[in-house]
Amino acid sequence: MSGALLVATPLVGLAAACVGAVAPARIRTPLSSALTIAACGCGLAAAAGVLHSGHSAVLYTNRLLPLAGFSLVLDRFGALFVGISAVVGICAMVFRLGYDGHGLASRTASCVLPLFITTLLLVPAAASVTTFLFLWELMAITSLLLVLVDHRRRSEVQVAAQWYAVMTQFGAAALLVGLVLLATHAGSQSFAAIAATSAHFPAWVRGTAFVLVVIGFGSKAGMVPLHVWLPRAHPEAPGPVSALMSAAMVNLGIYGIVRVGDQLLGGGPAWWWLLVMALGALSALFGSLHSATSTDLKRLLAYSTTDNVGLMLLGVGASGLFAATGHRSLALVALVAALLHVVFHAVFKGSLFLSASSIQQATGTRDLDQLGGLLRSMPITGPLFLVGGLTISALPPLCGFVSEWLLLQAMLHGLPSSNPALAIAMPIGVGALALTGGLTALTFVKAAGIGLLGQPRSEAAAEAGEVRRSMWVGTGILATLCLVFGVAPFLVIPAAVDAARSVTGARVPDPLVGGWQIGLSGIHGVLAPGLLALGLFVAISLVAGARRVVQRGAVRRTEAWGCGRELQTARMEYTATAFGEPLTRVFEDVLSPAHDLDVSHVAESRYYVEAARFHTTLDDSFERRFYRPAARGLNWWGAVARRVPNGSVHRYLAFGLVALIVVLVVVA
Amino acid sequence: MRLADVVRRWRARPVAIAPPPPGPPGVEAAARRNRGSLQLRHVDAGSCNGCELEIASIFSPVYDAERFGIRLEASPRHADGLLVTGPVTRNMAGPLRKTLEAVPRPAVVVALGDCARNCGVFAGAYGVEGSVTDVVPVDLEIPGCPPDPATIITALRGLAGT
Repeated sequence: MSGALLVATPLVGLAAACVGAVAPARIRTPLSSALTIAACGCGLAAAAGVLHSGHSAVLYTNRLLPLAGFSLVLDRFGALFVGISAVVGICAMVFRLGYDGHGLASRTASCVLPLFITTLLLVPAAASVTTFLFLWELMAITSLLLVLVDHRRRSEVQVAAQWYAVMTQFGAAALLVGLVLLATHAGSQSFAAIAATSAHFPAWVRGTAFVLVVIGFGSKAGMVPLHVWLPRAHPEAPGPVSALMSAAMVNLGIYGIVRVGDQLLGGGPAWWWLLVMALGALSALFGSLHSATSTDLKRLLAYSTTDNVGLMLLGVGASGLFAATGHRSLALVALVAALLHVVFHAVFKGSLFLSASSIQQATGTRDLDQLGGLLRSMPITGPLFLVGGLTISALPPLCGFVSEWLLLQAMLHGLPSSNPALAIAMPIGVGALALTGGLTALTFVKAAGIGLLGQPRSEAAAEAGEVRRSMWVGTGILATLCLVFGVAPFLVIPAAVDAARSVTGARVPDPLVGGWQIGLSGIHGVLAPGLLALGLFVAISLVAGARRVVQRGAVRRTEAWGCGRELQTARMEYTATAFGEPLTRVFEDVLSPAHDLDVSHVAESRYYVEAARFHTTLDDSFERRFYRPAARGLNWWGAVARRVPNGSVHRYLAFGLVALIVVLVVVA
Repeated sequence: MRLADVVRRWRARPVAIAPPPPGPPGVEAAARRNRGSLQLRHVDAGSCNGCELEIASIFSPVYDAERFGIRLEASPRHADGLLVTGPVTRNMAGPLRKTLEAVPRPAVVVALGDCARNCGVFAGAYGVEGSVTDVVPVDLEIPGCPPDPATIITALRGLAGT
C-alpha cells in the first residue's frame, strides 16, 4: 500500500507540474495547487503507512537514470521527514490560492513549484547515492528558480539568488565528494551497502566523508558559517516558497547529517559530534542574536531558522556524543528531542512565514519599523502570528516547549558524567540553549510588540486589511498544529522514537514514558503538557474573572502619555531598531554595526543644522569578514587569469603544444 | 559651625501649619477619597516661576509638606490631580488639557497663585489664553502672588484630608 502511494507521489507531482506549465492562466493556480496537494496527500499517506506498520516502502526502476537506476526506500526515519514536507506543502499550497504578487502565478513558477514540493517529498526516500544527488540537485535548482521568480521587479532578488546558488552548489560539491568517497569504498552506491560495510572503512575515509557531508548538509540547513544565503534568499522568495524552504527544505540538512552520520557510518568518534555540537551552538547563538536585532520581518524569521537549526544540530551532536561514550539511552532521547524539534520547527516556522507573508501582502512592506497596529486591522492573521511567536519562544502549552524541554533534559542528564568530552560539551550546550531561548523570546516580543501592537507607523500599515480566506486557512492549520502538538505531544513522540530507532538501530528500551505525560525512564522529572495547558487555562480564566469583578466603572481610553506634547504621532513610537539597540550595543564585537550620521548645515552658518540623518546597518559579520574578501579575491584571480587567454589563436595553439609536451614528458 | 548650632539645627522641627478651613463640597469629597495621601502633578502653564519657588520651599525641611501626605508626582498617570501655576499661555493650553486627560478619574485641579486664578498682572497680555478656569475645571484656588508656603500647605491639607 505504501509502495503504491510512494509511486503515486512523484507521478501526481509531475502531473501538477505539467498542468502548471500548460493550463490557461485562469485555472492554472487552483488546478496545479490541487494536484500538488494530492501529491502531498499521497506522500503523507505513504509516510503514515510506513510509520504505522514499520515496513519500508521500496521503489526501484532502472529506466529513469541511465546506468545507476532510481532507487527509493521509505523507512520510518525518512517517513517522518516526508510527513513534515507533506503537511507544510499542503498548507503552503492552500495559502498560495489566495496569495498574489511576487510572480508566483506565472507559468514557470506554476510548473516549478510542484516539482520542488515533489523533490521535498522524495529526497528523504532516496536510497542510493545517485538517486539522492539527483533529487538533491533537482531540489536546489527548483528552489533557486522559485527564489528568482520576482527578479524582473526587484533587483535584490538577483543578488539573493546568486548567494543561494553559490552556497547551495558549494554544499552540493562537498556532498558529492563525501558520498562518492563512501560509495567507492563500499563498492556499491546503495545506502544499504554503504551502511553494511562502512564499519571497515579506514578512519580517514570515515572522518573526511563525515566532515564533507556536514559541510554539504550544513550549507542547506543554514548552519553557521554557511548560512549567508539564508537571510537573503528566504526574505526575497515568495511567501509559500519561503515557508517551504524554511520549514521543509532546511530540515533535509538535518536529515542528511543524521542519515549519513548515524546510519550510513553507524556513529563515529566523539570529535565528529563535538564538531556538530559546536557548529550547532554557534548557529543557535549567532542566529538568535541576529534575529533579535533584525528589523526586517522575514529576515528575522530567516535568522531564527538558523537559530533553530542550531538547536537541532545541538541535539544531533549530543546524541552522537552520548552514543560515542556509551550512553545509549540518553543518545536516543537527544535524537528524539532533535527530531521533535525538526517536526515542531516545521510547524511553527511554517505558520510564522506564512503569516509574515500575509502581513507583507496586506501592507506591502516587511520592515517592522513601518508596521504596527496589525492585531486590530488583521484580526485573524495577527493572532496566528502571535501563536507562532509564542511557540517559537518555547512557551507552554505550545509545541516548541516540549522539544526544547526534552533537549534540555537530555543534555542536563549528561552532566554528571565522568567523561571529559561530555563534562565540557554539555554545560556549554545547555548554556547556548538557555541564551538562545532568552534571545528568541526577546525577538518575538519585538516582532509582535512592534508589528502587531501600537499605532500603525505608515499609511500602508494603517490601510491594511485581513487577507483572503485561503491564506489564513493555510496559516491556521499550522498554527492549530502548534497547539495540538503542544497539548498532546504523544501524537508525534512515538513516530519520532521509531524514526530515531530505525536510523540508529539502537536496541534500548523506550526511554520516554508516553501518554499524557512525558517522562524520561530512570530520570526524575516529568512533563504533563495536557495538565500544564489545563492549569494555564484555569489560571488565565481566574485572572480574567477576578479582573472583571474587581474592575469598577467603565474603562476610559486616552492617548498614551507623551508629556502633553501636541504633535504626538506614530513617529514617536518605540521602533524595532530601538528595541534591538541595547543588544546591538552589548554584542557590538560580534555584530559590528555600521553607523552613518549625515548632518547638513544651513547655507548661512555652519552653527545651524539644517537636517540630520542617522543610518545604521547591521550586516552579517561572517559575510563581511569572510565571504566578501573571498569574493573579491576570486574576482581578482579571474581578472588576472583573463590575461592568459587573450583571443589570439597563435597563443592557444602554443598552449596546446606545451600541454602536449608536458603530458608526453610526464607520461613517458 | 559651633556645636550648639549643630544641636539647634538637629533639634529643629518644621514650622506649625494651620489646619485647613472647611472647604467646598468638591474638596471635602477629595479629602475623604485621598485619606492622607495627595499626589499632584505640577503644570507650569506660563508662570513667572515665583510660585515654583514657593512650591519648592513647601517640600523643604522647614515646611515639610510630606508630613501631611502631600507629594509631587512625575507622571500624571500616578497622580490624584494637577497643581497648575501661572496664567495659561496659548502654547500651554493644549498640553494642560492633555495632562488633565492623562490623570485617572476622579482628578482634582488646584489653581495656585493669582495668575492661575485670574491671570494677575498678565491679564489681557497677547500670549495669554486665560486663567486656569477658562481652560480646565478648577476645584481649589490658592490666592497670593505668590502664596506663602504655609498658605499653600494649609490649602493642600484640605485636599489631602490631613
